[in-house]
Amino acid sequence: MSKFEYRLAGSGGQGLILAGIILAEAAGVHEGAYVVQTQSYGPESRGGASRAEVIVSDQTIDYPKVTRPDVVLCLTAEACRRYAGDVASGGLVVVDEEVGKALPSLEESVKVIRLPFLRTAREELGREIVANIVALGAIVGLTDRVSPEAVEKALLGRVPKGTTELNQRAFAHGLQMARGGDCCESAPVT
Amino acid sequence: MSQPILMKGNEAIAEAAIRAGCRFFAGYPITPQNEIPEYMSRRLPEVGGAFVQAESEVAAINMLYGAAGAGARCMTSSSSPGISLKQEGISYMAGSELPGLIVNIVRGGPGLGTIQPAQSDYFQATKGGGHGDYRLVVYGPDTLQEAVDMVFEAFRVSDAYRNPVMILGDGVLGQMMEPVRFPPEDADVHKVEKPWATTGAGDGDTRLICSIHLEAEELNAHNMHLHEKYQAIKENETLYEEVEMEDAQLCLVAYGTTSRICRAVIEQCRSEGMKVGMIRPITLWPFPDKPISEAAKKVDAFLAVEMSLGQMVEDVRLAVNGRVPVGFFGRTGGLIPTPDEIVAALKRLVEEEGVTS
Repeated sequence: MSKFEYRLAGSGGQGLILAGIILAEAAGVHEGAYVVQTQSYGPESRGGASRAEVIVSDQTIDYPKVTRPDVVLCLTAEACRRYAGDVASGGLVVVDEEVGKALPSLEESVKVIRLPFLRTAREELGREIVANIVALGAIVGLTDRVSPEAVEKALLGRVPKGTTELNQRAFAHGLQMARGGDCCESAPVT
Repeated sequence: MSQPILMKGNEAIAEAAIRAGCRFFAGYPITPQNEIPEYMSRRLPEVGGAFVQAESEVAAINMLYGAAGAGARCMTSSSSPGISLKQEGISYMAGSELPGLIVNIVRGGPGLGTIQPAQSDYFQATKGGGHGDYRLVVYGPDTLQEAVDMVFEAFRVSDAYRNPVMILGDGVLGQMMEPVRFPPEDADVHKVEKPWATTGAGDGDTRLICSIHLEAEELNAHNMHLHEKYQAIKENETLYEEVEMEDAQLCLVAYGTTSRICRAVIEQCRSEGMKVGMIRPITLWPFPDKPISEAAKKVDAFLAVEMSLGQMVEDVRLAVNGRVPVGFFGRTGGLIPTPDEIVAALKRLVEEEGVTS
């Protein structure tokens, strides 16, 4: 597996760009992989949509944009509608359970996993704002491409001071979700 | 070299400038380069430098004229429409032989255009966007690491030849993040002697920095002096990279973001048995016309690829001088050509021109 593409999509303020930067830094700085991180800007981000993309590779990355993401995370209904459809064959769509109804029909080979990121952040961690890090934990746990240790190291350097412990707990919750699998379904969504 | 740091292209360029000894920045906001002035506004005061958010692009380039005249290593940055506004000042700096770095993170034009990436300012950058017989040394890096390295190189060349220089990026390079390593701080920056700088005459000779030469003979002599300087830059400072050119039958020519995409094209074509290589200009002026002219003796055709409707391709055609066909493929408006589109363009060229691959 030489190249792996992540797309994290939601709305502005959900912290998906930060999550993308943490993921890229973990892979590129702490694990020595080639990485490129890009994000939506301009007309694409009007109306509050936000998208971060990360390519991780063991070779130099020529084409800097994500075209067929191996993993798509969607935290809003709009993100489901706009960004899930490009997922690669055999890829993974991870979606918040509150917005999953908006998913378009996907190829049968695509695995869809619905998890309660927003609810967990709100009810168990007391701050919906850390849903991004819960989701990051889940994606890291589900994909096994970048190690949780490297991501946690990058996370400690990137989250605002005073929120470290909260974010560590959020990340641990996400990892746990990935391992638990009790909210997972693998059937294609129609 | 430092440990790798994950940075946005714009921030990496700004940090590189500071490490290269830049201590004066003036600019005016415009997307997609805003992280450069933002970063400079935070970092320059930390190192004893000066940051000015000017009232306009015209003001900013003229502040650069002043700072360069006083001997400071200095820089401004903008994006396409803003760079258009700076052209008068750039011509004055070239005429007055003032060093300084101008960064253009190109967006789609003409006019207000779009804030998405483009390469449609090539003519303006390399053929003199301002008036008069002058040249800018123009660098077109294709990775963030190369952008960092070129900042150091650009300042060195700028001081050595007393001429403004430009880094021509695009919205992709400005906005993307990659790990970069910074070279050690430029220790030589303080050794650059500027006996012409207006640092206060005291008891010394009067120094004057200007670009006015009203006598025809005098201006002619000045222009001939500039011309000789440009010839020396051409001779000594042309940079390019050859990729898989040893056995190539088709030669891609591309710079910046487009050239990285062409690397994927080469890989794809070679897996299908097409012998494709690339000559990648790193300096856009001076343009690497000699290696392209040499390659024209060996390859069957060239394809220039740009995020424009065909600007650099004219320099390729000049260098090839009609010996073999030169095709073109471009996208505009913020669209980035995909490897598949470029491969298809190569195949069309092979078919239309009846050349082998």
